[in-house]
Amino acid sequence: MAEKITLLINLSFALALAAFGAAAAVYLFRERVPRRVLPGLLAACWLALTAALGLLWLKLGRPPLSNQYESLLTMLWFVFPFSFYFYRRYPAPEALWPAAFSAPVLLGVASLLDKTARPLMPALRSDWLILHVLSSMAAYAAFALAAVAAAAALARRKAAEDEDLLLRLAKAGFAALTLGIVSGSVWANTAWGAWWSWDPKETWSLLTWLAYAAALHLRRQGWRAHKFAIMMIVCFALVLFTYFGVNFLLSGLHSYA
Amino acid sequence: MLNFLSSLRLFFALCLALGLVFAWQTLLNRGPSLYGSPWFLALGALLAVNIAACSARRARTAPLSFLLIHAGLVAVILGGFTSRFLRFEAQLPLRAGTESDRAYSGNAVYRLPFSVKLESFRLDYYGEPAGVVTVMHADGSRDYPVQEGSAISLPEFGAGIKVLKLARDFGLNAKNEVSDKSPYWHNPAARLEISLGGKKKNLWFFAKFPGMHRAELPFHVFYRLDNADIKNFTSAVLVRPEGGEAFSAEISVNKPLRAMGYTLYQSSYDPAEASYSLLTVTRDRGLWAVYLGFAALLAGVFLWLKK
Repeated sequence: MAEKITLLINLSFALALAAFGAAAAVYLFRERVPRRVLPGLLAACWLALTAALGLLWLKLGRPPLSNQYESLLTMLWFVFPFSFYFYRRYPAPEALWPAAFSAPVLLGVASLLDKTARPLMPALRSDWLILHVLSSMAAYAAFALAAVAAAAALARRKAAEDEDLLLRLAKAGFAALTLGIVSGSVWANTAWGAWWSWDPKETWSLLTWLAYAAALHLRRQGWRAHKFAIMMIVCFALVLFTYFGVNFLLSGLHSYA
Repeated sequence: MLNFLSSLRLFFALCLALGLVFAWQTLLNRGPSLYGSPWFLALGALLAVNIAACSARRARTAPLSFLLIHAGLVAVILGGFTSRFLRFEAQLPLRAGTESDRAYSGNAVYRLPFSVKLESFRLDYYGEPAGVVTVMHADGSRDYPVQEGSAISLPEFGAGIKVLKLARDFGLNAKNEVSDKSPYWHNPAARLEISLGGKKKNLWFFAKFPGMHRAELPFHVFYRLDNADIKNFTSAVLVRPEGGEAFSAEISVNKPLRAMGYTLYQSSYDPAEASYSLLTVTRDRGLWAVYLGFAALLAGVFLWLKK
């Protein structure tokens, strides 16, 4: 089964690279053919990833959510439904560019991570794991798409036109992050006896949440278009630190994640 | 004053200040935690006042989602303050067969309104751990899964290894004989008979102390355990409330016991003493406000998302 999972991940990577190539061709040459095949490539990439994660779940006998490699693949999995949802609302290839850029990058980063799967430690053996990690990864996926879409909008000088897409992605991410923090807090109270311990991961998640809350409020104060796009990129830097930096630089209750 | 307290500028300033405190505390601070300082508590209180004042100002016109989110946040912060000042947490150390109503927090000792007797403590593994002997020499290394009685042939050295005994938790009894201190794999060791050049040596190799007997052999021998992951740890207890009926219960990680307004958590154990279990006893009077706040916050956020 391990070979099948590797094969599917590699297939997903190849399809993600092809999607990136198609998106680049659309951008550079305004070609019609890649414009048509881009959604299909991304859908195939998502199917291959879904099959890989499904097999990984079967192999491990638990949801693949317990280390950074597994959670990163789960985060990538959420990139696709968000992208397709917004592609339906804004049916232009630009709506799929963030996914076409994020998918190969995330798969590339995942390939560098330790893939060793360990059995769940006692504190992680809870149904809360699924809700907490899924909602957190969904949030990070939405924020990643918002950041890439913001960078693309700034590069194309179309921040005002793309603002609605950015706002909706930020709102989706904010709602999911709220669920992630709340579910983690309730779980922490069940496992450790404290709903908040100022663990570095908790603290940086709260900081990220406050940053997005401030960005959404600032937008209402008039920080729109390119200002809002810049805020989406800055806030995503906090997401990156919360997800990667805390794990590598700080120790705490989340040191396994 | 109300304008200032309900202003978004104050909110942005508080977000910035809190962000700086969080970054300093997690990245740079090596002294006492900032989270317990009066000025940090004042920042939290000011944030609650700011959010409440903002909500009050817009209460008539704001949509339900706005009110739920902001009321939820205020409830969470107030619950946090209640927890901060009224939460009780102490450790209840127990040994199998002993009963105690004393819990400890720092130097303070508390008498609980119930006593807890530890009937038994157990560790559960995912499966039976497997012993592996590794033989390492200049050309590489090789693993040999072993059981008691297993034999390993090393023709390149004209040597052989026989597994005489495997210990889960190596210890010596009063007669200086090797015996397991517990049924758990806390200190795994293997007694190997190594035949070399017509001579035999009986040596102990410990998984936690690799590198033993290096000077005595022309190759390195290591003993380790695979699949020794702990699945859970559980205390079987008898709880005797003051003036009430005693009852039995099990407490394990992620399955605390709630009784008499207290919650008992399985915190830790001692690999050096198999009958020892450490429980944490808490009583959090702010928890209901926090959970109510969480419910309102989530309801509000998802209503807002639907807009």
